[in-house]
Amino acid sequence: MALTFPFAAIVGQDEMTLAIQVVAVDPSIGGVLVLGDRGTGKSTAVRALADLLPPIQVVKGCPYRCDPAKPAGSCPVCQARDPKSKVTTERLPVAVVDLPLGATEDRVVGALDLEKALSQGVKSFAPGLLAQAHRGFLYIDEVNLLDDHLVDLLIDVAASGENLVEREGLSVRHPARFVLVGSGNPEEGELRPQLLDRFGLSVQVRTPQDLALRVSIIKRRDAFDKDPAAFKALWHKDNQKLQKRILKARELLDQVDVSDDMLMLCARLCQQLGTDGLRAELTLLRATRAYAALQGHKAVKPEHLQSMAPLALRHRLRRNPLDDTDSGARVQRSVQEVLAARQGLRA
Amino acid sequence: MTRETPPPSTPSDPLEHWNDALTALQLLQIDPHGFGGVCLRAPHGPVRERWLQALADLGLGIVKVPGSVDSERLLGGIDLAHTLQTGQLHMQAGLLQQADQGLVCLPMAERLSPALLAPLVQALEQGQVPPTRHSAEPTLTRFGVVALDESLPDEPGVGAALAERLGVWLDLNELSPSDIHADWTDAHTESLHLRLSPGALARAREQLAQVQASDDQMQALCAAALGLGIGSLRVPSLALRLACAHAALNGRQALEADDLGFAARCVLAPRATQWPAEPSAQEAETAPQEDKTPPPESPEAPENASEAPVDDAEKDKDPSPTPEQNAEPSAEDLQEMMVAAALASLPPHMLDALMTRQGATSPQSSGRSGQTRAGSQRGRPLPPRPGRPGGQARLHVLATLRAAAPKQRLRQAHNTGRVAIRAEDFHIQRYQQRASTCLILALDASGSAALQRLAEAKGAVELLLQQSYARRDSVCIVSFRGAQAQLLLPMTRSLVRAKRAMTGLPGGGGTPLALALKMAHEQAAQLQRQGVTPILVVLSDGRANVTLQGLGGRAQAQLDAQSWGQQWRASGHRALWIDTSMHPDAQAQQLAASMGASYLPMPQVQSQRMAHAIERVRSPQV
Repeated sequence: MALTFPFAAIVGQDEMTLAIQVVAVDPSIGGVLVLGDRGTGKSTAVRALADLLPPIQVVKGCPYRCDPAKPAGSCPVCQARDPKSKVTTERLPVAVVDLPLGATEDRVVGALDLEKALSQGVKSFAPGLLAQAHRGFLYIDEVNLLDDHLVDLLIDVAASGENLVEREGLSVRHPARFVLVGSGNPEEGELRPQLLDRFGLSVQVRTPQDLALRVSIIKRRDAFDKDPAAFKALWHKDNQKLQKRILKARELLDQVDVSDDMLMLCARLCQQLGTDGLRAELTLLRATRAYAALQGHKAVKPEHLQSMAPLALRHRLRRNPLDDTDSGARVQRSVQEVLAARQGLRA
Repeated sequence: MTRETPPPSTPSDPLEHWNDALTALQLLQIDPHGFGGVCLRAPHGPVRERWLQALADLGLGIVKVPGSVDSERLLGGIDLAHTLQTGQLHMQAGLLQQADQGLVCLPMAERLSPALLAPLVQALEQGQVPPTRHSAEPTLTRFGVVALDESLPDEPGVGAALAERLGVWLDLNELSPSDIHADWTDAHTESLHLRLSPGALARAREQLAQVQASDDQMQALCAAALGLGIGSLRVPSLALRLACAHAALNGRQALEADDLGFAARCVLAPRATQWPAEPSAQEAETAPQEDKTPPPESPEAPENASEAPVDDAEKDKDPSPTPEQNAEPSAEDLQEMMVAAALASLPPHMLDALMTRQGATSPQSSGRSGQTRAGSQRGRPLPPRPGRPGGQARLHVLATLRAAAPKQRLRQAHNTGRVAIRAEDFHIQRYQQRASTCLILALDASGSAALQRLAEAKGAVELLLQQSYARRDSVCIVSFRGAQAQLLLPMTRSLVRAKRAMTGLPGGGGTPLALALKMAHEQAAQLQRQGVTPILVVLSDGRANVTLQGLGGRAQAQLDAQSWGQQWRASGHRALWIDTSMHPDAQAQQLAASMGASYLPMPQVQSQRMAHAIERVRSPQV
């Protein structure tokens, strides 16, 4: 494996790194969409993820990396196994799978295994990228330029967490639960609303305009390019620290208490912003909870909501064509109003 | 080049360009994959041939990747012929693996499809070929890319995702063969001796690992990039790597001004999107002079080209060229030097293009001249995909056979002696066609745009129509006067029809600008749905006095026009505003800015000049 830039060494893009951490704490939030110019560290951050996260336990030899603790809903390979036999496990790093723009459909969903078909005359299924990304991350650079037929595939799989292959005489159903991470430049094209909705959080990145910050970024990048191994060793401790924080947050996640008061706040906020469907509220709730856990709090507080609301709701607003303001700012304004109204009620 | 020697009169010395191009070759030899590679924009000809010859003489492994390569050959995969022959699986290494530690050469890089560019960029960025279906493990490979871009000046160049990652951008379009024969060849007789001896190469590579940049130099580099309007952080990073390689080539342990100057010329300058000082002030300063300047030397370089470099040299002597003030004088000096070097190396028409740009923030759609539309029967072939032939789709015979081949044994084809093909094997041909563009002309026929001017505008529009016809683009005309905007001519390619519609156009009445913009917007949305890219050209003085409801009222009319202008901006389509009033004022300019449109005051409508401006909006160069 080529070495990747350490996650802890990324500077400047606080919102993006935060969103990625939050999703790492609770994958059920549903993924991150990063919109911004080229050369802002989008891909760097996503690729650094694999190193940041701890290895996972998987059933040994299972091409879909099934979780040994959860036999239910497992893949065809594991289901075919004798339930009495003991399951051997192994630890593998979390998968961060790249889905390139020009990928063919059979590469993404999987197809007939040519090798076996040729050498043994056996009809068997060779898993595709979706299978590889199970329990990990699926990264699509320039997601807004993705071919329509691939988008259709993704929308379906991302919603159901299951990949259904009916082609080339094969009929396979296997789990594919992954965190969708997309990045792109909004000026080059729009995303279909359905795909937009599959992303839990959305972040807007800009190139930092502060000179000192830019210099420090270039310095780190240069140091990494010159000697990746040494640079990684230098940042190993910080990366470990971050990893521990995420692990701790995962444990804490179930204990985080969300009061009815906070639920009301979420609901009112979504109502005021006029977001479609209940998915917005659900995502907002999960994101706030994960963020509270990441901060080490056992209860969700208004300030957690305040930092997560723009990320979770920004891309779900009905777009008013005549309003040029940033939707993040609109969300922020509504949060202020809702919080103020709550204060008013109490007083 | 140092601060003392920026040539103010000749902004781009062809010889210097050529020398830079040759130096870039030597740097490629020292560090083939450190700075991404080279994007060479030059037509096929002796200049490019010479450069490529020198490249071939370097002794680096060069793998040429034709545009027709399939992804299996590029990334490695099954050797189908061999596999079928032997009945056993045989793999072949992809071109990218073969290029490890060497170079990938992309001829006609501007024509490469995104489906090929995406994996290439991915491999370039990560230093490994992504795992394919048949190899779970990624294979490491480090290579540089030499992209040969033959696009004409008004055509879109290499795909942005790739170009961004290639450090050196060379433009040898302006070089003639006589320019290059003068220099290096005289000293070195026939062929160019660029290749470093093994000893020198080893020394330089060793040196490269030790080259250090000081904090001041890094700061200067970042500030210079920021000042030139380069947002991406990848660019200064690549520039730094290039400067280090340049230092190593010259046997230095530390970066010097010379190295930074070279990086500024090759990496920063071609990507510049704005002037280092406040671009708006600069624009305001030069705009009034436009008419007084002598006629341009070349048709490509409009009015203020000869003015620009001098102006810039003066500007550079100003104490504060960028908003960032720094306590260290040396960093500032360095930065000034780099900006000067970068600007001095720009060809005149680029300077001009920078002038007419509205700063880096205006939304620019990607440079393609039309959107792509898949699924048609003409155009560039896409990878085949499974599907039923019939209707729009045609059978892809080879892919179908490929799909059927492995299953022959299962289907027991040897009994019948025929290839057994089932419906599930069918693959269909797919093509992608570039859609055309459509010019939407919004023509002010109100009383304020006097009748005589209307006649002039009509003449200009006719010239435009002829051009559009030649380009197989269509036009659509919206005229507005009195209390309404009228769709004078729906989208058409018919020249005759357009002419007839124009001649019958009456004039006089109020200026319902908001209504016109609204109609243009609706037309644009409709065109977009049909797969046609709209471009709006407004010919008006911008003095709106009829509201959206068709009532009088100057203030409200302006507001309405503004809001529909913003809506156009939100749609992201390109636009050009030609101010036709005798005394151009800020009003129209503001409106143009709110639309994200280029603004061009033209008190006397000149058909040629207008056509030229529209051409530039149609295919932005920078």
